[in-house]
Amino acid sequence: MNDEYDLVIIGWGAAGFAAAIKASEITSGQARIALIGDGPLGGTCVNFGCVPSKYLIEAAAEAHAGSRHRGVSLARPSVDFRELMNGLREAVAGERTRKYEQVIARYENVELIHGRASFVNDREVVVNGRRISGYNFLVSTGSSPVIPDVPGISEFMTTNNFWNMSEMPSTLVIIGGGAAGLEIGQAMSRLGSEVHIVEPRRLVPPHADPDASSIIARSLQADGVRLHLGFTAARAEDGYLIIKGNGEELRIRADAVLVSAGRTPNVEGLNLDAARVAYGKNGVATSRTMQTSNPRIYAAGDVVAQRFMLETLAAREGAVAAENMYEHLGIEVNELEFPRALFTQPQMASVGTLEDECAGCRSKSVPLESVPRARIAGDTDGLFKVVVDREGRVVGVHVVAPNASEIIVEGAMAVRHGLSLSDIVDQPHVFPTISEGIKLAAQSFSRNVEDMPCCVE
Amino acid sequence: MKKVVLRVFGMTCNDCVSRVRAGLLEREGVLDASVSLKDGTAVVQIDEGVVRPDDLELLPVFKGGRYRAQVRSVE
Repeated sequence: MNDEYDLVIIGWGAAGFAAAIKASEITSGQARIALIGDGPLGGTCVNFGCVPSKYLIEAAAEAHAGSRHRGVSLARPSVDFRELMNGLREAVAGERTRKYEQVIARYENVELIHGRASFVNDREVVVNGRRISGYNFLVSTGSSPVIPDVPGISEFMTTNNFWNMSEMPSTLVIIGGGAAGLEIGQAMSRLGSEVHIVEPRRLVPPHADPDASSIIARSLQADGVRLHLGFTAARAEDGYLIIKGNGEELRIRADAVLVSAGRTPNVEGLNLDAARVAYGKNGVATSRTMQTSNPRIYAAGDVVAQRFMLETLAAREGAVAAENMYEHLGIEVNELEFPRALFTQPQMASVGTLEDECAGCRSKSVPLESVPRARIAGDTDGLFKVVVDREGRVVGVHVVAPNASEIIVEGAMAVRHGLSLSDIVDQPHVFPTISEGIKLAAQSFSRNVEDMPCCVE
Repeated sequence: MKKVVLRVFGMTCNDCVSRVRAGLLEREGVLDASVSLKDGTAVVQIDEGVVRPDDLELLPVFKGGRYRAQVRSVE
């Protein structure tokens, strides 16, 4: 077989897979595709991100479960951490096999090539000394954890190897209060670790709605997580991490350290200059059609210079890149249409813009306490916030609620289709459900929701 | 006159070859077309004053149905 392909995809995570499959479908399986990668198939989400973290969170929620209702008591569960992590790794392997390995094996036109690719020119890459030429290329190499410089630190984990742990650390220090740090922090606290989260900014997660962030911070603290906001890790010595901030220095015992301080696009080693592909430290520059500065080369997923790193966004971008290569439609991706979620308890989910990012926008919010179902469940920590633009179109929805990640899809539909407040109010909801909160928030623009009986339109 | 080589996807039989060739020749400015099932290609002679190479990718025969085309070279 020669080494000439119709499409060369560098990176076999969500974006690369979506592109390979979409390109195969459009071309009736006739596009000859090279899918190149050097980590486990499936990339970050299934192996190191969403999938293992959700497993840990679910297990921790079971360990933490307690009754909120009078007359019901639950026995305190015990935790075998080693067994839990064995189960977690099996679940990850199972998902990887089912959703990636077995899926791609059905595509005879796709050849998996193991190794790191580097451009020789804009028609050729080299992988382990093998030259591979292509007509179109997709750069979908994903992202890697950022490692902050902390003097004296010798042993630490990232989200790439945290999942290999078998012993539960009695104290766990997490550097970084982003989504992964908060999710893992709350789960590990619930499982029995003493957890400290060190975050230089005042909000966790950063870049979220401030009211929603405050509720998340309170909830984590109520679970026993020690949040050190405004602090940075200064140095490590003798099993302790020294953190500084707010004019003070704290010394924290650290049996284990997890670095979760953001992610950086994987552009190093690709030799993108040789392919005339523009990029910077924030990633590869693309148009909204996912085309790079070289019109035959596309990029998708975490490697793209954009705001969000999401599995769903990566998959859409990969598919759209393939459609634009073969359908010539110029389809665009708008990342603000993509809902994102923090899977703590309560969950936080958002779509669209924050109020302070949008000139002339207005917002209203209702506390979860105003939602009858939340009161019945005895679980009232949360809020619903709706942001509208000058024309009254919904441009942002922010939810903190037990199942915010499911509810946000209604907000995502509203943002994507430019719906108005009355579109949401007129949409029948089920009583009593948490999802009524978005309707109440929309109604709160025109009336006091506390003066309404249930189900008033 | 220019010679455009197209990569054509989706052809599985000689009937496909005839349909793709007919679809190409329908376009004003396409002077001749030779389609290969084995290679998945079409070599198209065009009058570049009437039709641009990229326009060939957007012909009705390459939209909606099962065939897709990409310009691979122009001489």
